[in-house]
Amino acid sequence: MTLELSRLTGQVQAMGEEVAACQRQHADLVALARRWLVQYADQGERLRHPARAIRAAIPTDEPLDDDYPLPTTPDRFTVVAADGSQIRPDRHGAALYYLINVGSLVYRHGSGEAPEARSEPTLSYTEADVYENGLLVDGNLLDVRRDLAEITQLADLCTVEPPGSTVALVDGTLILWVLEDRSEEWRRAKVMTYLDQLDRIRESGAAVAAFISRPRRTEVARLLYLASLEGDANRASREPNPLEHLPDRAVFELLSPGARSALFVSPSSINYEYYHPTGHGVHFCYLNLAEEGHNPVIARVELPAWVAGDLDRLALVHGAIVAQARITGDYPYTLARADELAFVSGPEREAFEDMVVTALLRAGVRTALSPKRYYKTLTRQGGRKRY
Amino acid sequence: MGNGNLKVGRVLRAGTRGFVIGCTVLRPDIPAFGSLVRAEGRVPGSTIYGLIYDVSLEDDAFVRHFIGANPTEEVVQDQRQNRQVPIEVSVLSLGCSDGENIRHRLPAQPPVTLDWLYQCTGEEVRAFTARFDYFRLVLEAREAPADELLAASLRAAAAARPEDEREMFLVQAGRELARLLAGDPVRLEGLLRRLRDG
Repeated sequence: MTLELSRLTGQVQAMGEEVAACQRQHADLVALARRWLVQYADQGERLRHPARAIRAAIPTDEPLDDDYPLPTTPDRFTVVAADGSQIRPDRHGAALYYLINVGSLVYRHGSGEAPEARSEPTLSYTEADVYENGLLVDGNLLDVRRDLAEITQLADLCTVEPPGSTVALVDGTLILWVLEDRSEEWRRAKVMTYLDQLDRIRESGAAVAAFISRPRRTEVARLLYLASLEGDANRASREPNPLEHLPDRAVFELLSPGARSALFVSPSSINYEYYHPTGHGVHFCYLNLAEEGHNPVIARVELPAWVAGDLDRLALVHGAIVAQARITGDYPYTLARADELAFVSGPEREAFEDMVVTALLRAGVRTALSPKRYYKTLTRQGGRKRY
Repeated sequence: MGNGNLKVGRVLRAGTRGFVIGCTVLRPDIPAFGSLVRAEGRVPGSTIYGLIYDVSLEDDAFVRHFIGANPTEEVVQDQRQNRQVPIEVSVLSLGCSDGENIRHRLPAQPPVTLDWLYQCTGEEVRAFTARFDYFRLVLEAREAPADELLAASLRAAAAARPEDEREMFLVQAGRELARLLAGDPVRLEGLLRRLRDG
């Protein structure tokens, strides 16, 4: 063990005191934000244009402070979730490759049947696979490929389900995160591939939503500040916002158990550049997953325009997510299982690396770890003791 | 009794005295405590025989989460069929065969990882229990509840015989036990009572 815990004692104590002080201040800010939420509840239309300019949540026609109760769900409906994990390419490994493993679960509510669980690993190892425009597929490039594999798996599963009663769940956001330093052409190609899969889900008759647990976004808080300045975007971008670091979820802890907030539109530039023109404009709302008598558990849910604008699909997504989260208490069961099915554990990774080395030897390839990797395997086995 | 190709599961880990297999679901009677099972030996045509002495289901933090949560039937089935794998089945090695003769002794080599383990057929059970030399291996086993295991396996072996042969089979088994446990009358009495009470 090389982390000197004794040297951190003072720093950890200071951190605890700082967090406590922030929480006391936090209560005052929450009260202010909620006051503004009620005060400017019907100002949505007036705020829409300036909100986009300062990247605040963009109001829809729903009053900002509305509380939409938990709808009834059909006796039978299906929730499909997919999640992915990866083994990153390692320049110091025996060979250059990466692996994406997508886990998925198809859960049929009311059936009494075991859900269908799958893991789909894909190994990429050719030059064309591991390099893209001369760059090693790692970091954001690899994240994008994993996200595309997840949404493709979801679309595949939705196409074999009966239309009208299926909800596809993504962990995180519906907006594909592509670094802005890539070329416009590259970004467009990636995002359009993602949107093609959303098209397939829409055509299957299913609904799709993304689920964010304990969200830290502050877009609604920014909107409320804008509202307090009578929609003056110039002042809002110049002057310090007292709600700058207040997460939206704190504002919406007043939602009734099972209820959702008003819908908003995501101000992300990618949303406006690519999602809106194709009918997938990303909307979001906050949901209180808790049951009556329990502390609120607020999640953010993102939906494409064709779900947000369809009352039946919206109600199905709302009810399905709450039903799923209440299985575990506060997080959709299908997402928890999809993550488990996708996860590549340390021993599995080691076993896979052994398989690769064996395959290389059988093919007559003499290979070895780089010296750096070799010594890391020696020093990181946890054998060293400190007295 | 099985039909000869009834798979119980695959070998997870193995030693000379016994092995552990993993299976995905508990079916009625399979795997069952006291069942005679067989795995293929390393030599082609050879077989390793053993008795199932433990069936255990592992838990984890996720399944424990649902103990007090009144889970839905879908969750119960997911945890049972998709997650609680493998169910671990421990087997005591008792004999081997070269394809012609069955010998009651520890196998020269254990089965290897991922080999299939099969439920023995009635015919195989009758053949294996035609002699009682394996009793000593069971009685001396420290890892297994030996007396319960022997009683359960003898009841299963009797059931694999025609009805008019069952009592004689158990009487002969009892005589062999009396010989082996002559110095331990208390243990012998307990074992015979288990056999008798079925």
